[in-house]
Amino acid sequence: MKGIMTPRHVALWIAFAAIMLLLPQVVSNGTLRIIIFANFLAIFAMSWDFLSGKTGYVSFGHPFLIGIGAYTTAILSYRFHMPIEYSIPIAVLTTIAGGTFFFLPALRIKGTYFALVTLAFMELIYQLTQVIRPDLTGGTRGISGVKTLLVGAVPNYYFSFLLMLGIALVLWVLARTRLGTALDAIAMNEEAVSGSGLSTTKLKLFAFMVSAAVAGIGGAFYVHYLGSIAPRALFDIDFVFTIIVSALIGGASTIVGPMLGAFFMTFLLEYLRPLLPGSERYLIYGLVALVLYVYQPKGIYAIIADLRDGMRSKNANNSKNSGKVGDGKAA
Amino acid sequence: MAKLLEVENVFKRFGGIVATNDLSFDVEEGESLALIGPNGAGKTTIFSLIMGEIRQNSGSIKLQGREISRMPTHQRIQSGISRTYQVPRPFADMDVAGNIRVGMMPDSLWQMLLRGPDPKAELDVALSVGFKQEDLERTPSTLSMGDLRKLELARTLATKPEVMLLDEVFAGLTLAEIAQISELLAKKRKEGMTFVIVSHDLRSLEPLVDRAVAMNFGRQIAEGTFQEVMGDEEVRAAYLGQ
Repeated sequence: MKGIMTPRHVALWIAFAAIMLLLPQVVSNGTLRIIIFANFLAIFAMSWDFLSGKTGYVSFGHPFLIGIGAYTTAILSYRFHMPIEYSIPIAVLTTIAGGTFFFLPALRIKGTYFALVTLAFMELIYQLTQVIRPDLTGGTRGISGVKTLLVGAVPNYYFSFLLMLGIALVLWVLARTRLGTALDAIAMNEEAVSGSGLSTTKLKLFAFMVSAAVAGIGGAFYVHYLGSIAPRALFDIDFVFTIIVSALIGGASTIVGPMLGAFFMTFLLEYLRPLLPGSERYLIYGLVALVLYVYQPKGIYAIIADLRDGMRSKNANNSKNSGKVGDGKAA
Repeated sequence: MAKLLEVENVFKRFGGIVATNDLSFDVEEGESLALIGPNGAGKTTIFSLIMGEIRQNSGSIKLQGREISRMPTHQRIQSGISRTYQVPRPFADMDVAGNIRVGMMPDSLWQMLLRGPDPKAELDVALSVGFKQEDLERTPSTLSMGDLRKLELARTLATKPEVMLLDEVFAGLTLAEIAQISELLAKKRKEGMTFVIVSHDLRSLEPLVDRAVAMNFGRQIAEGTFQEVMGDEEVRAAYLGQ
């Protein structure tokens, strides 16, 4: 584990947490509610990134996993009056188990086919929630009146941020272990990973289960934040694209990138809302994504890294030059 | 000496094409075997069959007397067999050290999580194939074909194989690079490594092998010392077009 988190990393994470924890002192409740959504989107985008960004197996069906988590806890707590402290862990375990049951066979197929199969799963659950036991799922209307965990923007903001931060830290550390390197290698050349003596099935299954667990946690807490669940909003292609574009704009396979991407996307959509109230907003974010890709295909994370490297080399040059000037003066 | 690798009556068909036809050969511990034949003879196919990347229709493949035909590729590698490819397959976005790191990884999620990389061991492997310390941070896109072949060898050696299957290790290399790779293979051979080498560069191949097997249309047409095989009429007819 040595070398995974340097003092500079610790300082950056603490600074990030400190700034975010101080935000309620300076921004309005309205803005906090936007950030709460960004926190949940960040959880979903990081969940997607750990599977798809890392291994290259692009999932178009992440709402399928999020939905299992959200529906399980909503049904257990609303229909069966189970306390949240039980319904949420059960929801997460159900997401891992249910997701593995459906996705595992899909991990044997690659590329476009994997993406299509996962998209089909999302459609499948969308239809299932409406036709199988609508008395439990609430059918097309979904379920409203689900117990909320906290009341008010500020407590919900703190909770969602700390949840997101915890998940981000765990995934970021995982991604920086040798296991993270092996997952990256799968995206680059799966046959060569196998040819290095590693079981790619085991690695992909691990990535999938972690991704499903995070999606389940996010989905479960999200429904207890909203207090309702509607299949039309959850199993929606716009929602899939928001997750994927957040991850890609932020920088796939970096964990931190998708987190940044989620914040960027949420604020972009919110600030566009008064100008473009309808779905046209999605055109704008498609355009932004396109421009960003042309400029830096590896996303915001790479842009920040480039800026940092640029500043470092500039500083190095400056100190070299000032050293020369100094020498000249001394001479 | 004990037989390390045994290929017995292996038959592989791709649709209407017979890629290996009742092929049998074995390699003893510490031996270096050349596998020669014209293009399309089935040399790469037999490597892929030995590694489990494709499965034979019939016949058996044994490593140290143990049948490995049903094992997935990664288990065969853990059993002590490894290969390089005609076209090098590096992890494109990883530097040389990262590529070697993947080869050195244990197939255990816990160990991958709890134990960090071993930069010294990575450096040792890199140095053993002729890289310099400063090459560790280079990415594959900046490497010459010779360096890519060295990287392929390094990643293969990192899996700690007992027998290495080398596919066209000299292809696309300059004379200096061929000399460098030959020297490396000769050194590994002295250290006791077992090799099966496929190459069209017969001049470079000859000093590196104890024995040769010639193939054509998926079947064995000659076996013996390199000189004996090259002197065989059927081999000359098939391989050299005489």
